[in-house]
Amino acid sequence: MSVLAGVADAVDAYNAHVASEACRARREEAFARELGARWGKLRAEIEWTRSPSGTPLPRLALPPTDEPGAIAEYLLGQGAPGEFPFANAAYREMYLDRGDSGEEPMRLFAGLGLAEDTNKRFHYLTSHQKSIRLSTAFDGPTLYGLDSDHEGVAGKVGEGGVAIDTVEDMERLFAGFDLTRGDASVSMTINAPAPAILAMFVAAARRRFGRDCAAQLRGTIQADMLKEVQAQNEIVFPVEASLRFLCDMIEWCVGEMPRWYPISISGYHIAEAGATPVQQAAFTLANGFTYVELLRGRGADVGAFGPRLSFFLDCGLDVEYLVLGRACRRIWAIGMRDVFRAGAQAQLFKLHTQTSGRSLVSAGFENNLTRTAIELLLAYLNCSNSCHSNSADEPFTTPTEHYARLASHAQSIILEESGLFRHAMNLLAGGPGMAVLEREVEKRILGIFRELDELGGVLAAQEERYQRSKIQEAGHAYEKQIDSGERPVIGLNRFVFKERMPRVNLARTPPSRQRRQIERLRVFKKRNARKAPAALERLESVTRAGGNVFAELLDTVEVCSLGQVTACLGGVVGRFRPMV
Amino acid sequence: MPLCDGHDAAVTTINVELARHGVEVIYLGYHCAASAIARAAAQEDVHAVGISSYNGGHVVFFSEVVSQLRARGGGDIAVFGGGGGTITPADERVMRRRGVDRIFFAGTPLGEMMTSVTSRYARVPGPGAGLGGDRALARAITLAEAAGQSGKRMRRPRESGKGAFVVGVAGPGGAGKSTLIDELTSRFLRARPAGRIAILANDPSQPDSGGAILGDRVSAIYTQDDRVFFRSLATRGNVSGVSRATPESIGILRNSGEFELILVESVGIGQDGDPFQVFGAGPRLVNAMLFVLAPHYGGRIQLQKTSLLRGADIVALNKCDHPSAHAARAEIAAVLESNQAGRQMVETIAARHHDPGVDKVYEAIARMSEGHAARGAAGRGRSAS
Repeated sequence: MSVLAGVADAVDAYNAHVASEACRARREEAFARELGARWGKLRAEIEWTRSPSGTPLPRLALPPTDEPGAIAEYLLGQGAPGEFPFANAAYREMYLDRGDSGEEPMRLFAGLGLAEDTNKRFHYLTSHQKSIRLSTAFDGPTLYGLDSDHEGVAGKVGEGGVAIDTVEDMERLFAGFDLTRGDASVSMTINAPAPAILAMFVAAARRRFGRDCAAQLRGTIQADMLKEVQAQNEIVFPVEASLRFLCDMIEWCVGEMPRWYPISISGYHIAEAGATPVQQAAFTLANGFTYVELLRGRGADVGAFGPRLSFFLDCGLDVEYLVLGRACRRIWAIGMRDVFRAGAQAQLFKLHTQTSGRSLVSAGFENNLTRTAIELLLAYLNCSNSCHSNSADEPFTTPTEHYARLASHAQSIILEESGLFRHAMNLLAGGPGMAVLEREVEKRILGIFRELDELGGVLAAQEERYQRSKIQEAGHAYEKQIDSGERPVIGLNRFVFKERMPRVNLARTPPSRQRRQIERLRVFKKRNARKAPAALERLESVTRAGGNVFAELLDTVEVCSLGQVTACLGGVVGRFRPMV
Repeated sequence: MPLCDGHDAAVTTINVELARHGVEVIYLGYHCAASAIARAAAQEDVHAVGISSYNGGHVVFFSEVVSQLRARGGGDIAVFGGGGGTITPADERVMRRRGVDRIFFAGTPLGEMMTSVTSRYARVPGPGAGLGGDRALARAITLAEAAGQSGKRMRRPRESGKGAFVVGVAGPGGAGKSTLIDELTSRFLRARPAGRIAILANDPSQPDSGGAILGDRVSAIYTQDDRVFFRSLATRGNVSGVSRATPESIGILRNSGEFELILVESVGIGQDGDPFQVFGAGPRLVNAMLFVLAPHYGGRIQLQKTSLLRGADIVALNKCDHPSAHAARAEIAAVLESNQAGRQMVETIAARHHDPGVDKVYEAIARMSEGHAARGAAGRGRSAS
């Protein structure tokens, strides 16, 4: 039995435990009294506040009951926000108005052109924010570990994300931001080349903030190799080698970068590639438990690395999204506690959510503002720890400034202008309909866990294309539903109106800028031509000897480009063999 | 999909629909260089190339594919594609000027796309006079496929004496045949720095529509080399595990004198018939037979019943790091012993980079090939023995 069947059994066992405790509460007076006392204390601690028009509200809304069974079901089955099994929220107060500064959960993804272009966008996006929260999109060549001068990538440089070839590009990317500030955090969406890119990030920071700054750097890098194999297809090295490079990086970060989340276990791309909401949650959680198993297998301490794992989910308009975060938090917490014996910090399913790109359409594209707003509402109802809202023009282009601003303002409207999340926690959480849906979603997630288990676990199933074929089937069904009209999409198959293709501004990188990047790279390579071969030789020997590749990369990237690093590592471990 | 693009949600759906509409789709997968697309198009002798691009840079990339096709004598091959909303009408105008045939904009119904592709690009292949290089070979195979389908009598391959050594590769689905073939290709490219290798990969057609998704190229990472000729063949209703055109295709490749080694992959046993009938019955089409098995092949009884190993010159026990490999090894050894001598079993992990087991399989093939060439030179042996 793999760990996944163990988790499924643990969740079933926990549910049975909750049910039996609820019975016991109704039967045994002593237990009922004990629960009543806990309930009374929790209630008494809750502060009260007022809406702007004067309506009093508790900062945490608890179910209006004193029935011992119902209390047991709530406290054990859902847990108050910030308490096991964390169905309601990972933390006690989430987005509640604290009157002072605090960090906003908004984190907007940006990347275009050259490093200085994206830097300018970063300054624009954060100009109205209290904290520095940056999120980086890389261009295609960077995502595949290739240099901007690689044969055949000509038109791709700086398209759809920023072109990063060297540590110097990384310096330009974050120029003008104090990354050592307590409220600064940086997210980087990159996977196969993540170790080299994070090494450049640390090396660039050391150049600016001093040799010892790594411990102060805060943020996350996606680095989820399993979902790459299953859905996103940006994978360069064979699976085993990719996982080794990743684990090297995670272990280094756990030791040296206490504020860094070295992996963001992602369902987003699984969903965008076609998965249903339930499949997204099941595959993502299963991948998460697989990483825990892998790291533990290397001798790492779950208490040390467990709290550094975080998650990233898609949020679309399907009804299951109402409860997906709740179901995931609960399964993760129970699995980590009861199967992996992890402590409270490692039980938290810390969630970043992005609204669904797939749900956006180009027909009547301004309707995308409404779609994104509703998805964002769902994401906050799921108590996401941070959110990215898509821009309405994304079916056409990397977001232009205008629509990026509207997307960011949507977040402020939901969190600050509306009263839904400012005054009371759980205003809308845990209603009867939600509970029914949550149980069903949980049951189906556990069903997929058991299927994966029968195939020998995530890695074995992945080798047989199990996840890929499920995702592709679901994606095909989705398109057929749109085609037949069963799945209404306004403007596309309902209320279709003829309109000219909208005139949107396109964020494209002109060839002159692309040439500039290639020229800079040439200068860098020429300047380091004498030092690079020795650095690559050291990298190669560490890789062959089984040492920590990430620790070596910190030196390699001082004099080598991303493409040079990729070629060197590929020479040792080979290439990934893609799957249909 | 273009280089640096992994967005395959649209393309996988469109592939399924095309196959349902009777189209044979040669799927190349994601992150493909323009040169690799053009090479594949020429070797597969396709009617059209479809590109799905979601990561920008499409104007440059599509144009590059068009010019690479022209450079390889495939200027008649149409290029179409789409990229949701990322390809604007203004882009489309530029792309069409540069030779792209059609762009499907966001929101085009699947049905319209299918009608357009099937009506615009379907045509009977001509004799291919004037075609050169790989495209000429490819056209000859296309004509053999058409003849095989119309029930014309197939020619047996003629002897050319030019020395191509032909290896048939069979085994159950999921054993890792494609991976092993690709790894053998990389060994060949290293060992024979000037030689060419050809691969014929058979995949099943869909019984109802006649279409197929031929995806062997996706995982064949070492075929991206002009010294490799790779051709996908759909079985088109033939139940023996290989296309009816296989014998003649082997002959075409052999007679071209271009290739030192030809690998013929059959459809996985259990997927579609028993390739033994083709590879093994009567005068053999191949010089040697390589069987690929994975440890979980289903136990001894099945092994004996299907007589899988009887005609094999080499048995590769692939995925030999699997926990059940121990039992499989003993069983296969017993069967090989109870049959004839001279057959060998090699344990491989084809999925592993630089696997020494694969080296051994390659060496065994190279030895047989040398022996074959020596016999041919001495004028004694039959070249297809």
